[in-house]
Amino acid sequence: MSTKRKFRPLTTGDVLIYIIMIFVVLVCFVPFVYMLALSLSSPEAIINNKVSLYPVGLNFEAYKQIFTYPNFFKAYGNTIFYTVGGTLISLFMSALFAYAMSKRFLKGHKLVMMLIVFSMFFSGGLIPTYLLISNLHLTGTVWAMLLPFAINQFNLIILINFFRAIPSEIEEAAIIDGLDYFGILQRVILPLSTPALATIGLYTAVFFWNDWFNGLIYLNTNQYPVMLFLRNIVNGTAMVGDGAGAADKSTIAMSIKSAVIITSTLPIIILYPLLQRFFVAGLTVGSVKG
Amino acid sequence: MSDTTFVSKSPRDSVALRSSSRRHFRRYWQLYVMMLLPLCHFLLFKYAPLIGNVLAFRRFRPGMGPYGTEWVGLAYFERFLQDPAFWRAFNNTLILSFGNILINFPIPIIFALLLYEVRSKRFQKFVQTVSYMPRFISTVVVIAIMGELLSPSSGLLNRILGSLFGMDPIYFVNEPQYFRPIYILSETWQFTGWTAIIYLAAITGVNRELFEAADIDGATRLQKVIYVTIPSIMSTIMVMLILNVGSLLSLGFEKVLLLYTPSNAMVSDIIDTLVYRTGLTNQNYSYATAIGLFSGVIGVILVSGTNWLSKKMSGESIY
Repeated sequence: MSTKRKFRPLTTGDVLIYIIMIFVVLVCFVPFVYMLALSLSSPEAIINNKVSLYPVGLNFEAYKQIFTYPNFFKAYGNTIFYTVGGTLISLFMSALFAYAMSKRFLKGHKLVMMLIVFSMFFSGGLIPTYLLISNLHLTGTVWAMLLPFAINQFNLIILINFFRAIPSEIEEAAIIDGLDYFGILQRVILPLSTPALATIGLYTAVFFWNDWFNGLIYLNTNQYPVMLFLRNIVNGTAMVGDGAGAADKSTIAMSIKSAVIITSTLPIIILYPLLQRFFVAGLTVGSVKG
Repeated sequence: MSDTTFVSKSPRDSVALRSSSRRHFRRYWQLYVMMLLPLCHFLLFKYAPLIGNVLAFRRFRPGMGPYGTEWVGLAYFERFLQDPAFWRAFNNTLILSFGNILINFPIPIIFALLLYEVRSKRFQKFVQTVSYMPRFISTVVVIAIMGELLSPSSGLLNRILGSLFGMDPIYFVNEPQYFRPIYILSETWQFTGWTAIIYLAAITGVNRELFEAADIDGATRLQKVIYVTIPSIMSTIMVMLILNVGSLLSLGFEKVLLLYTPSNAMVSDIIDTLVYRTGLTNQNYSYATAIGLFSGVIGVILVSGTNWLSKKMSGESIY
């Protein structure tokens, strides 16, 4: 590991480790390559089991087809709306909450901290949460997606710890300059916290992008997010291949499924390499400590 | 900015206290105002459902509020404890959970140990980045991909098995005996890299001098891993084990629900899916709440139990 051993020859152990690591990389990649290949292949090639890691009979029929399917567009739009809206609400609420909670001298600070930590170990459970949301008359409205998940305790603690690590001299200087606490949060703390905000913002965005279960239990069909749309295709609850004409439905469905998988995962796959440093930051920025 | 500067020096304590607390609020009211909206939200969406668990002891009547109408004592608990469907779900949960911990607890540790031994730092970073990417893929997508990879008609796995061993296609996602391996291996795929980050950070934090001392003693690479690295990251391993055992009853509910088919129900019906079906599908709200509360309480007991045990035995605890 150290630089002086840089030119040590590779041992059998090294070779073995490299082989294992290459295997790991392949295992992570191949499923997506296979999906991409299926989505771009002709139905005949899929029926005859010719497709493995590259498209056979390259064509974009599957993509053309899902883009003519109005429910797919609607669901995709819904997901974008939930992701953007949910993340903004969540960041707003978490930042306010975390900044106040980063001040240990506030009265009741200990009690609220205890409530936060306790709720991480013991949650209300599916049925009481469902009954609460339906009694608040949120069921069937987009608020059922946006509101209940606005505060995530893990993200909150990451943010609290990040705010606490900011030197108090900076704030004292801001107070002397005549800023009040809202001003400090807005003009001093938040600009200094962009890495932490990016990290929890990404976690939240990924949560909303990937969610399907809450859509299933709280929303109407035309409000479904794209992941629920995909699940319904996989389930056979929704038929996308109806317009496929004479071609074999199950095979058409296979390339269409793959096309939906690729398009619905694309934002994450594209953004991932660019933003991956923010993805792990949460694990190191705020260790979970009360 | 400590509050000590605002403590009055007046000899009359109660007056001093009151005036200092008034000063405290005059000084910091904005922070309390900031907290107001998120705190109300938090109490409403996290604690109202928690209190909503009283429904387990009360009869639910439609349209009469989420907290039920009259007390029925432990009637719902007695009922589900005699219900074979509950015990089937209970056993399935335990078996799946233990199987999952058995496989997916050691794998990230081994992966992190191996990854740390990779000589090229750039390759190490690359493998790590690729390995935790599946953590951010939706469970729906994971299950959909598995469905296609494992499909009996044209799935890649059946084709490989067929051409290598001449095996007949197996309908993996429908056969009960493959449900547990599919669940556990898909968890491996999704979470190994992510969990390994924590261990890799712990390994990176191990004191260099320990390795140098081991080098001088002529330790081999494997000996260093066994006698230096693993003991040094033992506290991290213990904390992760507590968290794992503590969440024994809370499996990846969404994944199980997605993998659930009537033909694999005998192994794939876990407590959470039972709660979902009896509660939301059959609208037996009180009965389902009782089952959910029972498993939640066991979860808390498990966390505090393993935490206590670990504190006694190794001095490691999460609180």
